[in-house]
Amino acid sequence: MVTKIENEKMEKALEAKAAVVDFSATWCGPCRMLAPVMEELSEELKGKVDFYNADTDENPQLAGKYNIYSIPAVLVFKDGQLVGSSVGFRPKADMKAFIESKLG
Amino acid sequence: MPQRYDIAIIGTGPAGISAAITAAVRGKTILLLGPAALSEKLSRAEKIENYPGLPAISGADFARALSAHLDSLGIRITDGRVGAVYAMGDWFGIQAGETTYEASAVILACGVAQGKPLPGEEEFLGRGVSYCATCDGRLYRGKTAAVLAYCAEAAKEAEFLATLCARVLYFPVGRAPIPRAENIEVIRELPRAIAGEGKANAVLTDAGAREADGIFVLRDAVLPERLVPGLATEGERVAVDLSMRTNLPGLFACGDAAGRPYQYVKAAGQGNTAALSAVEYLSKR
Repeated sequence: MVTKIENEKMEKALEAKAAVVDFSATWCGPCRMLAPVMEELSEELKGKVDFYNADTDENPQLAGKYNIYSIPAVLVFKDGQLVGSSVGFRPKADMKAFIESKLG
Repeated sequence: MPQRYDIAIIGTGPAGISAAITAAVRGKTILLLGPAALSEKLSRAEKIENYPGLPAISGADFARALSAHLDSLGIRITDGRVGAVYAMGDWFGIQAGETTYEASAVILACGVAQGKPLPGEEEFLGRGVSYCATCDGRLYRGKTAAVLAYCAEAAKEAEFLATLCARVLYFPVGRAPIPRAENIEVIRELPRAIAGEGKANAVLTDAGAREADGIFVLRDAVLPERLVPGLATEGERVAVDLSMRTNLPGLFACGDAAGRPYQYVKAAGQGNTAALSAVEYLSKR
């Protein structure tokens, strides 16, 4: 399951041992294509990493804080620390390998 | 639900047309995407000396013959510039302008990207540099966007940006058409580089620096690995095997996109192989 971040509140993601935050927007084509990929990965990596989605229009301060200039942008956090980011669509196997490589 | 085609073929040069002909003859539903006027490069070729059966044919005549062949099979070209192909697992999403098409298999026959990226272009990609106005335009709402226009569709994309941005700086390169909107400034200076600090913030030309918050680089052909996220390449060519298979199941490449030699007869042959491989792939699913 991918949890929606609302009202700029992503404390839960930062408190988690491992979290992935997908910054995206409803009007962005690649974001729409990536959404089902992230949904599937959230099931495949259940228990290892929590998945979140932050709409950049609804969470502009978060997008500014994390320097989101192009979306979709997938940020990986480990114990609240940003450990990696990836911009743009990636096929599922690629995205999974990227996330796992950042979590070590 | 949009229609899901059996095979989407991207490119209207000899490789793409050959693939479309074979796929259509094999009874597959196809989407042939590319410039409706066929590959511009082809029409401009002066003389083709080595295409079997068509001695010393001109590029323009060859293009007409290909068009007539498509017509005879009832194959229509869907006019458009493909921005991205998304591998979704057992299907593909193909974004062209505002439309996303769906297909079970894809044949890339989009030729080879000409020209090197500008200094700073790759460094700032995703950090102020974008290849897609419809994807990233809204991130620059109320700000200044620059459009480096290397292709015909750039004018339309600049007009779209003008509805969102406070100002659009438009740099027409070559024969790019001129967009119309009050807040578009046409700047007739050749872009030389993209500059910035952490994030792109200016287009450098011979005349100096032009500041912008977002810089959209719009070319006819984008590098294959940009066109298809996750696609394996070797230098500027898509990595393919002898069946024209790429590293992504269901995605095939042929013609100049698959590497040298850049010859029409080789392109047509590879298009045929790619189509047969796609048909086989579909039958095994």
